Amino acid sequence: MESISTPRISSQLIDSYVGQNVMVVGKVQQLRGDTAVIDADGQITANLNRDAHLVNGNAAQIIGKVLPDLSIKAMSSVDLGNNVDFKVAQAVVDATHQCRDLFVFDADKGGMMMG
Amino acid sequence: MDDSYGGGYSRTSYNAGGGDDAGGFVYGGSQGGSQSGAGKGYGDDTLRPVTIKQVIEAEQAYPDAPFRIDGLEVTQVTFVGMVRAISPQTTNVTFRLDDGTGIIEVKQWLDADKQDDTSKQAFALDSYVRVWGRLKSFNNKRHVGAHVIKPVADYNEVQYHLLEATYCHLFFTKSAPGGGGGDGSGANGGGNDSMFVDGGNGAGGDVPMNDGLRMVSARARQVYNWLSNSEGGNEGVHANIISQAMKISIGEVLKCGEELTSAGVTYTTIDDDTFAILDY
Repeated sequence: MESISTPRISSQLIDSYVGQNVMVVGKVQQLRGDTAVIDADGQITANLNRDAHLVNGNAAQIIGKVLPDLSIKAMSSVDLGNNVDFKVAQAVVDATHQCRDLFVFDADKGGMMMG
Repeated sequence: MDDSYGGGYSRTSYNAGGGDDAGGFVYGGSQGGSQSGAGKGYGDDTLRPVTIKQVIEAEQAYPDAPFRIDGLEVTQVTFVGMVRAISPQTTNVTFRLDDGTGIIEVKQWLDADKQDDTSKQAFALDSYVRVWGRLKSFNNKRHVGAHVIKPVADYNEVQYHLLEATYCHLFFTKSAPGGGGGDGSGANGGGNDSMFVDGGNGAGGDVPMNDGLRMVSARARQVYNWLSNSEGGNEGVHANIISQAMKISIGEVLKCGEELTSAGVTYTTIDDDTFAILDY
């Protein structure tokens, strides 16, 4: 049990998460070498790990750290196929930030919460 | 409702409560005849969609007490998560699941009679699964005892689950969106982004949150509120009078009355159409 969250964000929110681990669900717009451009309510650049198998035009889920230049250094990238409803993905991002209590352990609280 | 009694007594947690026997009895026992959320038997089990963070933060009043989320007892939960680790043990398979809100261990106990089961549990790392199970605490460490674990075939289910968990949280903490019946409406899943806004705004009626009342429809809650402000006293108020005062049809009043009575918050007095608040 670990109180660690990777909040779901979109490109509109990325600048408040520099240095933190986040999750992005969006559409792969470009693949160039180890770099992907993901559309998640705006463009986000992700530096992929070598074993990534993303597909242009498909949805992808990227988990990684937001770097100071607002790109993401991916720790995990998963191809989600072509049947992902991005409006629902955006609704989840909105819910995450409207109801932070349900979704996000804030880093400054830290530590394990034992029951 | 005999089974709700039986269920209560067979729980070892009662004994573990030590000197609290009296308290424990009031809790589960006094409600034996009602169907409200306070009962203990399997008949009162609920299945709530949650995020892993909610599981980690679920509260217990004392060790072995029932877990509570948003102040409400939870028995069974369902959630989704990515498989981060699988460790087969002699008696169970332990998974570490991560849904982006937290990480929790999920144990699936092996049935010695069905050896084939182990081979079926080959989930790929980093794939999403859905779990149905119960919250457990063992050696002060929390885990979920899974009844069923199934792979998530459609990623939209992950999104929809998180929205449904949000919906349930808002439903229980801020009351139902205007006019919506309790259950089901959150399960539509579709791209209805407005549902959170509704949930927030629907907070109008300040209902004293009695466990029984949480489960009833918004309309029934209005009837309850009206009843609790009326001068009916022990004799109750006839459905006709409620219907006139609240300007809703008699049929609807009777439906609400029935709902409130089966939730254990009102009772019928001189006849089946006269309702009074159940105070105790």
